[in-house]
Amino acid sequence: MPSTGTISPTPGTEPSSARAESPAWFGLNGVSFAYDGRPAVRDVSFEFSGQFLTLLGPSGCGKTTLLKLIGGYLTPSAGRVVVGGVDVTALPPEKREIGMVFQNYALFPHLSARRNVSFGLEVRGLPHSTCLDRANDMLRRVGLTAAEADRKPGRLSGGQQQRVALARALVFGPRLLLLDEPLANLDRHLRDTLRAELRRLQRETGVTTVMVTHDAEEALAASDQVGVMADGRLLQFGTPDDVYRRPNSVSVARSLGEVNLVSGEDIGAGPGGTYLVRPEWCQLGDAARGPRVWHARVEAVEFLGPDVVVDARCIGGPRLRVRTRTAPGLRPGELTRVSIPADAAWAIPDACDGPPT
Amino acid sequence: MTRRTPYLLSAPAAVLLVGLLVTPVVLLVRVSLYEPSHGRGFFAPGTWTMENYAAVTDADGLGRLGFTVAFGAGVAALTLIVSYPIALFIRSRTAAWQAVALGAVLLPKFANALVLLFGLQQLLGPAGPVARSASVVVEPPRLTRNLAGALIGETYLVAPYAVLVLVVHLARIDPALTAAARGLGASRIRAFRRVTWPLSVPGVLLAGYLALMWGLGSFLGPMLLGGPEQTTLSVEVHRQAFEYGRWPRAAAGAVLLVATVGLTLAAYATVTRRREVV
Repeated sequence: MPSTGTISPTPGTEPSSARAESPAWFGLNGVSFAYDGRPAVRDVSFEFSGQFLTLLGPSGCGKTTLLKLIGGYLTPSAGRVVVGGVDVTALPPEKREIGMVFQNYALFPHLSARRNVSFGLEVRGLPHSTCLDRANDMLRRVGLTAAEADRKPGRLSGGQQQRVALARALVFGPRLLLLDEPLANLDRHLRDTLRAELRRLQRETGVTTVMVTHDAEEALAASDQVGVMADGRLLQFGTPDDVYRRPNSVSVARSLGEVNLVSGEDIGAGPGGTYLVRPEWCQLGDAARGPRVWHARVEAVEFLGPDVVVDARCIGGPRLRVRTRTAPGLRPGELTRVSIPADAAWAIPDACDGPPT
Repeated sequence: MTRRTPYLLSAPAAVLLVGLLVTPVVLLVRVSLYEPSHGRGFFAPGTWTMENYAAVTDADGLGRLGFTVAFGAGVAALTLIVSYPIALFIRSRTAAWQAVALGAVLLPKFANALVLLFGLQQLLGPAGPVARSASVVVEPPRLTRNLAGALIGETYLVAPYAVLVLVVHLARIDPALTAAARGLGASRIRAFRRVTWPLSVPGVLLAGYLALMWGLGSFLGPMLLGGPEQTTLSVEVHRQAFEYGRWPRAAAGAVLLVATVGLTLAAYATVTRRREVV
């Protein structure tokens, strides 16, 4: 929390350094939820003491439902939600002091951007002039001009609407900031700009943030911790490095990026077991070395700019996708060499949810 | 496509408008300018007079006119008060229940209005279930043959249309807006007052316009559930034509009614225009 910041902490909000020592500052405990009998969230538990948490999963995996359960917009059928060290499970959203940016922003169409932002201050009974001052200040910080702040949401671009939504969620000094696919409706260029701004604002305000996304790259780039979800369950909860390099299941491995799944025999690690080898861990051509080097026939070459992706069928071995800096002159049908470095394969502990390919 | 094509395309509508609206009104005006015929035909030819207009705008006539406008406004107000909560309730249901609830609201419209109001007469009458159950605690209020009965009856006929208009308008308001307001610290009531209500005002004004339109032409409600005091212009026109056979007087009353409806709705539209409705 910046000492001169315009975001004054609400009563009950401890500084982030203090909260980091208490592991149960924010967490879920056995949370479940069903829509009309269809389970959407099943027995999710975690404790989070960092700054930025991302929930990653395909659409329909329950991640947005989980966000709504944290915000109080839905009530879990079982389990507890703890925010700020307090059990908030029974509290309605207006008592939780949690800011949320909805996927479609949910800006009030009949109010100017400025009044949208000051809404959360007005309902707290602050004097009108204070509300507008703080709203203006917040809007400046997210990069909106005074003229833009006068406009109603319908007359703002998607990126500007996103900034207004963010300012509105932050201005009242929430304990927690929830972001539901905040970058999904924006084009690529804007997404990168806004992602950087989001992180800057998050650091400046020091507000603990939970973001939901289906984009693995976004999840890995932004977060202290990533929760990987599928089918209503939290499959793995860990650092980006953990979930990317050391996934606990094939599903998690797949949801974070491209995979080669090889058996123990393939890499000389004894029979059985499924091993994860990311395409960029493999070595190709002259770079291939180590105990296990295959001759391989090139099946496809895809040039991506910084990288080249080569699909290769190893003779007497697995089919491997290799991602490498350069593959000079390699054409489909040619022979080359492929290797997996000795310590590069990760034995997936729970591999029963997907056979090796 | 020539320049004339748009006019040709609107020809059927124009024929309909002239045939079904302009012609009857012109004939009505014509009838209203003669003396009654006492027997054959609607009027006595060759007796040009303004007497009928003098009769419908005398002290009694103007009183009736005032009552008609006030009654129409009352019906519109009561309709909105009844319809808005119903529409809010329907909107809060799941899609399947919305269809059931809307069906229930519109079901009475499948029956004849006369049948409905006779039923209402029984229900609200001195010997009806409402009066009898009320009489256990208090002196039962009179709900037929007076203003209350006339208002209830007419509102009962108009409200389904208002509910329909309001449901359509409320359905356009994103429920996430209410969620957002509550997440920002607004209670349920406050979220309604500051978000749902202002966004629904155009729908309310449109529903009010329709209800006023019907309310100004109130006939069956005052006729079947009102008393002699509740004589609206429509009731008076009916009485002049069918009880006394004074067609020219009835026609003058009808012309007055058409003018009143037109002017009142124009005034309503002017007052509410700044809200971007109608």
